[in-house]
Amino acid sequence: MLKRKHEESSKREHNPYRRRILFFLLLGWALLLLGDRVSELRVYQGALIAIYALAIGSLILLTGYSGQLSLGQGAFMAIGAYAAALTQIYLQPPIIITFISAVVVAALFGAIIGGGAARLSGPYLAGTTLALALGLPTLANLFSFLGGETGLYFDVGIAPERFGSEFTLYKWFFWIAALATLIMLFFIQNILKSRYGRAWKAGRSNPAAAQLVGLHVGRRKVLAFTISAGVAGLAGALLGMVSLVAPSTFTLSLSFAIITGAVLAGLTSLTGSILGGLVLVIIPEIAEMVSGNFGESEAVRANIPGLITSLLLILTVLFTPNGPAEQWHHHKEKKKQKAVEKQKN
Amino acid sequence: MIGSFRKKGLVAASAIVAIAGLALSAVPAQAAEVGVTATSIKIGTTVPLTGIAGPGYAKVAPAMKAYFDYVNANGGINGRKIEFIIKDDRYLPPVSVEKTNELILKDKVFATVGQLGTANNLAINSRVRLGSRGVPSLFVNTGFSGFADKKKFPTLFPLFSSYRMEAKIMGGYIKENFAGKKIGLIYQNDDFGADALKGFESAGVKFDVSIPYVSGTQGAATATTWIQKLAAAKVEVVYIFGVTTATAAAVGVAFAAGYKPQWIFGSVGADATTIVGQTTVPVALLNGALSMSFMPDAADTTDEYVKFFREVNTTYNNNATFDNNIMAGMNGAMMVAQALKAAGPNPTRKGLIAAIESKGSTFASAGYPPIGFSATSRVGYTGFWIGKYNQTGSLIPVEAKGTIYTTDSANGPVVKTTSKRPALPTKGLPN
Repeated sequence: MLKRKHEESSKREHNPYRRRILFFLLLGWALLLLGDRVSELRVYQGALIAIYALAIGSLILLTGYSGQLSLGQGAFMAIGAYAAALTQIYLQPPIIITFISAVVVAALFGAIIGGGAARLSGPYLAGTTLALALGLPTLANLFSFLGGETGLYFDVGIAPERFGSEFTLYKWFFWIAALATLIMLFFIQNILKSRYGRAWKAGRSNPAAAQLVGLHVGRRKVLAFTISAGVAGLAGALLGMVSLVAPSTFTLSLSFAIITGAVLAGLTSLTGSILGGLVLVIIPEIAEMVSGNFGESEAVRANIPGLITSLLLILTVLFTPNGPAEQWHHHKEKKKQKAVEKQKN
Repeated sequence: MIGSFRKKGLVAASAIVAIAGLALSAVPAQAAEVGVTATSIKIGTTVPLTGIAGPGYAKVAPAMKAYFDYVNANGGINGRKIEFIIKDDRYLPPVSVEKTNELILKDKVFATVGQLGTANNLAINSRVRLGSRGVPSLFVNTGFSGFADKKKFPTLFPLFSSYRMEAKIMGGYIKENFAGKKIGLIYQNDDFGADALKGFESAGVKFDVSIPYVSGTQGAATATTWIQKLAAAKVEVVYIFGVTTATAAAVGVAFAAGYKPQWIFGSVGADATTIVGQTTVPVALLNGALSMSFMPDAADTTDEYVKFFREVNTTYNNNATFDNNIMAGMNGAMMVAQALKAAGPNPTRKGLIAAIESKGSTFASAGYPPIGFSATSRVGYTGFWIGKYNQTGSLIPVEAKGTIYTTDSANGPVVKTTSKRPALPTKGLPN
């Protein structure tokens, strides 16, 4: 009897899927509690952290796993945001359908662009996606139904009345963004752990060997591009919900910020995406604190975030090239090995 | 193993999120009203200090600050100093939203004042929802007539005469003076321009060539396409209803191409200093261009308000080149100071709004037309005077000084009248 119980509990512990569900539920619960205990500014920033984490997650899937360097995640975010806004304005479906439409439309674009991109690699792919990030959002200025530079208002409305009058608009945004991010990160995590994830890694590490074992590398790359674009589209829709659906929301600097976040987080570590999102939101805060020491010079003030980001990037590449989460893991592994060796001795 | 989603790593990451969130969330004890202490009142604004609309408009907020510094040097408002926070939004609506969030949630301002741009203010009010938060938004730097809708914007007070009024009044002038001539229009293709189109429609003016432009694209390259189109259609009168950088781009390209139509500049894009500063156009070439204004011309040193603002500019604004942007900034700031004073010794946001509703129409300001604020109206200035630029870039009234045209932002008539502006208060300070 005791033995069976022990076996069951051991099975539970070693069932990664169940462990992952438990973890995401716990994280969601912690965020829920946190949302009630911080100021509205922090809740607003929390929503942004969630959105950036999701966008970084999409890039980690694409670049970290499938090995395709994209400088244009902002473009897919824009596609998702415009899809959500137009769906909401013209069809007014339940919010969840609106967000699904963002994922589907962005994924469709991803599939089309990914088809071409699968033939490219390295700087050629980077250049193509860069052009996409530069050009695509400005298309909104050519078609009046896309709202031009003024943009579109993607309004998810206020929180249901049952949450009470104290439930602020930004807390509502935070709930939506955090929930969507947790679900999608869980989804990405499971894909990365599946045979698709392993195939992407194989294709990234050695395409010739992957093909030799029967993997269709090109097709897998398109699939990665499609999923990544869909996830980025959702992040874009969420950003549109908090900010505006306008070309100036999805600038090239947003794409670069996402890459920066991904590099700081560790391009191969989905864990770090939350950390990456946090860093992207915290950098302007730190910059403001630091700039207080430089008087009122606008030139200095404007350049401090860039300086901090560059410093962080250099330090990351020097000391934790795979991101702090990965570094932490290596550190623990080493410790474990040492302990085992000690025991053996 | 690369990329594994490890429990410990995740716990560490979430702990960081939680700790950072909690650590950053220390909120200082609040005073009776947000942004008000025993010694200060905190207010803030978002304006383009840089970016495509920066030239010219970047002078507005420093001018406001200069006037507030002057007020502070003279005892402040009911013993409180005005603390004025300026944020650069680069004229980009999403950035305006972000910066207003900072003002409201982080800096915890009592009110926002003089935020600039139609699309920017629309974005701010739809996203940050100043109305439902009860945050007063005073004397925004835009003439979009929709902001006078109290139901939609319960805490917002526009000051400028609306674009719709402007188009109605100038539309009547065009019909009277340029009948039979080919007329062209360049306008910003957003709510700013759409407001003007409604006014032109009310006035019954039709344009032979209409050129919309997207905000942010008003450079020399785009202006070249405008001028080519206008010159090819042999347009004789060109009305530019855009920001100053659009006016400057069009005039600069036309000058280089030798195209010399009768120019009409919309009031918000008509600052001669900025136009000349942005181009190689000699100021004398603006001679004869028509424009409208609700304020005295910045070069009119016989005007007591202009004289006073120039003095403040010399002492408190590093003697910046005085122009209509500085005038607009100081005038708005003067209105803000009077509103804060009218809110009483213990100002509240609600009290501030009530004070403007009851006393706002009597506030002293440089504007010639009457101010329409009341319990039921959010209309600021209600008209314009028409002028022509002279050789030195000063706007000279085409009729007797003080002649103004008043109207509404609907289909009401345009009425010619004489300004009865309140005199400058003692030392230019709120009574």
